[in-house]
Amino acid sequence: MTQPFLSIRNLRKAFGAITAVHDVTLDIPKGEFLTFLGPSGSGKSTTLYAIAGFQDPSSGNVELEGKSLLAVPSHKRNIGMVFQRYTLFPHLTVAENVAFPLRVRRRPEAEVKKKVADMLALVRLESFAQRLPGALSGGQQQRVALARALAYDPPILLMDEPLSALDKKLREEIQGEIRRIHRETGVTILYVTHDQEEALHLSDRIALFKDGRIEQTGSGEDLYLRPATDFVAGFIGNSNFLAAEHLDTKDGTATIRLADGSVVSGVRANGAFGKGQKTRLMIRPEAFGMERSPTSAELNVDIVDVAFYGERRRIVAQTATGQEIDIRPTSTAMQSHDSTQCRQVYFDPAAAFLFPA
Amino acid sequence: MSVETRQSLPTFRMPAGFNGLLPALVLIVLFFVVPVLALLLRSVTEPEPGLQNYATLLGDGTYARVFFNTFLVASVVTIVTVLVAFPVAWMLAIMPSALASIVFGIIILSMWTNLLTRTYAWMVLLQRTGVINRTLMAIGVIDQPLPLINNLTGVTIGMVYIMLPFMILPLVGTLRAIDPMTLRAAALCGASPFQAFHRILLPLSLPGIAAGGLMVFVMSLGYFVTPALLGGTSNMMLAEMIAQMIQSLLNWGLGSAAAFILLVVTMALYALQLRLVGARRMSGGA
Amino acid sequence: MLLDYDRMGWLKIALLGFTALVAGFLLLPVVFIVLLSFGSSRWLAFPPPGWTLKWYQELFADPAWLDAALTSARIATMTAILSVVIGLLASFALVRGRFAGREILRGLLLTPMVLPVVVFAIAIYAFFLRLGLGGTTIGFVVAHTVLALPFAIIPIATALEGFDKSIEDAAIVCGASPLEARLRITLPSIRIGIFSAAIFSFLASWDEVVVAIFMASPSLQTLPVKIWGSLRSDLSPVIAAASSLLVGLTLALMVVTALLQRKVRT
Repeated sequence: MTQPFLSIRNLRKAFGAITAVHDVTLDIPKGEFLTFLGPSGSGKSTTLYAIAGFQDPSSGNVELEGKSLLAVPSHKRNIGMVFQRYTLFPHLTVAENVAFPLRVRRRPEAEVKKKVADMLALVRLESFAQRLPGALSGGQQQRVALARALAYDPPILLMDEPLSALDKKLREEIQGEIRRIHRETGVTILYVTHDQEEALHLSDRIALFKDGRIEQTGSGEDLYLRPATDFVAGFIGNSNFLAAEHLDTKDGTATIRLADGSVVSGVRANGAFGKGQKTRLMIRPEAFGMERSPTSAELNVDIVDVAFYGERRRIVAQTATGQEIDIRPTSTAMQSHDSTQCRQVYFDPAAAFLFPA
Repeated sequence: MSVETRQSLPTFRMPAGFNGLLPALVLIVLFFVVPVLALLLRSVTEPEPGLQNYATLLGDGTYARVFFNTFLVASVVTIVTVLVAFPVAWMLAIMPSALASIVFGIIILSMWTNLLTRTYAWMVLLQRTGVINRTLMAIGVIDQPLPLINNLTGVTIGMVYIMLPFMILPLVGTLRAIDPMTLRAAALCGASPFQAFHRILLPLSLPGIAAGGLMVFVMSLGYFVTPALLGGTSNMMLAEMIAQMIQSLLNWGLGSAAAFILLVVTMALYALQLRLVGARRMSGGA
Repeated sequence: MLLDYDRMGWLKIALLGFTALVAGFLLLPVVFIVLLSFGSSRWLAFPPPGWTLKWYQELFADPAWLDAALTSARIATMTAILSVVIGLLASFALVRGRFAGREILRGLLLTPMVLPVVVFAIAIYAFFLRLGLGGTTIGFVVAHTVLALPFAIIPIATALEGFDKSIEDAAIVCGASPLEARLRITLPSIRIGIFSAAIFSFLASWDEVVVAIFMASPSLQTLPVKIWGSLRSDLSPVIAAASSLLVGLTLALMVVTALLQRKVRT
């Protein structure tokens, strides 16, 4: 087996009585774009800081190409990083900021000049070389930070919520930049965010954090279509959870009884359940349809509200037991005048997942 | 607050919100500007009209020595104060707040304690048979008591003591305004602690150091109490000389002229300091 | 990571050691003077051969000390009241007013803080000699208010700048008159600034030596003038006793300030 490029081994970090990271183990191949996704306080930034050397882990290890980084001080780790806040040196010009890591490495002046020019070209800020950071917009500052972090060709680039201070339009623009730069440089990127859309859009692979542990690691598609836990299902995309009683499982598909008494077969079971066990059935809003198909299961609902969202409609409906659910059929699947009525909606059991209650 | 009611009268042509300033302006003009201008007038009219007082002050070696002493002490005090204050302010800016509040408490206690009380303590501590000389002799550092008082050494120690809070407190503000992330970024960029200090931390604190240092320098130039009590007769400072010219020698002309020179130098440096602080605000706000 | 307290290693230890030394330097004279005031040696030997309260007895036996303290308290209180009232009016104008030359006027009002006191002292001394105000309580209060005003304006103006004026406007929209809105909404909100102004201007007068030395008459002496006079004649331990009481007063003021600030925050 080939040795992983960057390897996090049983990382644990406690601050006094509070344990921020419990037991994180992760292998990252060279050139991957890996995102740590999770709510705030889930330990993703702490894990990143341990890699950067801003915090010493309580136990565990971080290895780069088989060698532990823990004894190496930050300034000798040769890692690039872009921060949440703009951390450009306010007294240095854009060019001097990008040159900084090269100057402290005492590289020859000619090389510094060339590299600064290359980097500013990479982030498309050539004409801003002589400006001070204060004269730049937030998006431009983050691009300079990116150029500075990449100037010394670090093997790893850490990004700690770099877009959270920017508005939506700028965020999308710089996401595109980051993808392009990842493509062009091939640098390994560890990216921290709490924004699932950002994670899905950017990453090769996502590690979803919850309470200091990794809940699931996989591609965006894996996490969305095959969530390992109800937390993953709830965090990525939107989901409805219906109370259900487990009746039987065969070959990974289960038969259950919903609260309104209807029996549904063929849902995907995440784990083993006993007969009569209380469970929860997760169905994505867009997995509901308005038309019956041979394999679909049905659900009786009262439509409470229908809103038009362009390509989709958003329906708020109520089940027989009074639970509100979120349904998003394509706009053509339903006429707008169908509102405020009692009717059936349909879903494919194969797109529904059973989780423990 | 009669500001609003007066403003609403149409006959009043005062600019908006100006009236509140009137009591303060009357006080300052009548009891500050006028007396100071009157003093200036005396410097060119007594004993007879002309600039001879200034000629005497600037031409005589005795007075030149006083000016030199004053600048020397103020410079030394400023440099020592900056060097001592910076590490303290640095720690205060980042240490846990419980610990910091103890140090802040000590600083405030020292600052608020009566000036004469503090100076008195130094007079006793620094005298020939004082605690400091005795301790140094007891542990064998020196054989003879050091002359620590009635000279520039005493003045410098006493002044640094008084100026330290004025340097530390604003510097803490400057250092706290620096994002620690900036220093982390510098470290990750490969800067050693020393490189991060002299390329990032020091340049970023420089406006605060310059503004605070200039303030200490200006205050030291015109300081009266400490030099008068801890200094010697042979190396007088400017403020003391002015007081003596008026109080003992009743030479109003010469005293006023010396006071006016002190005023001009102080105001010029103060204006410079304002520009520094203003520049810092602009760059800090970005 | 020079600003990460937990990650500075030996550098932190060195800097903390230095900070402790400086704190000791700042504390030394204050503690020393208090110890000295209880020492039995008239010649201020330290450590003293024994402990005594006789310097305090001597202090209280001499009516001149108490007299000077009361004079100082009276002048400082009047100065503080006058400075806060004038400073409050001026701060509103400086912060809220929209007129040309506002910055210059602010600079003018703050000038007494930066001008060497000795210059102002001889100027006001000469001026009051002519007006016949030298050596009078009113003369002291006026001169001290000139010096104390910047210390009143700065905290009040700072507090006022940090106060969101739209809250005052909201009160007016709710039906309060502009004056009422200021008295009932704005003033309570900036009370910490006003309180600081009162303390600072009180201390500015209470501690003021230079003007006082020039203005004092045999019948009207403030405490600093009395101490100054004693210091020039000898270093009697009675001064240490008087000084210790001043230290006690300072500590009391600090405690009151800290308590009030905590109360405002919670």
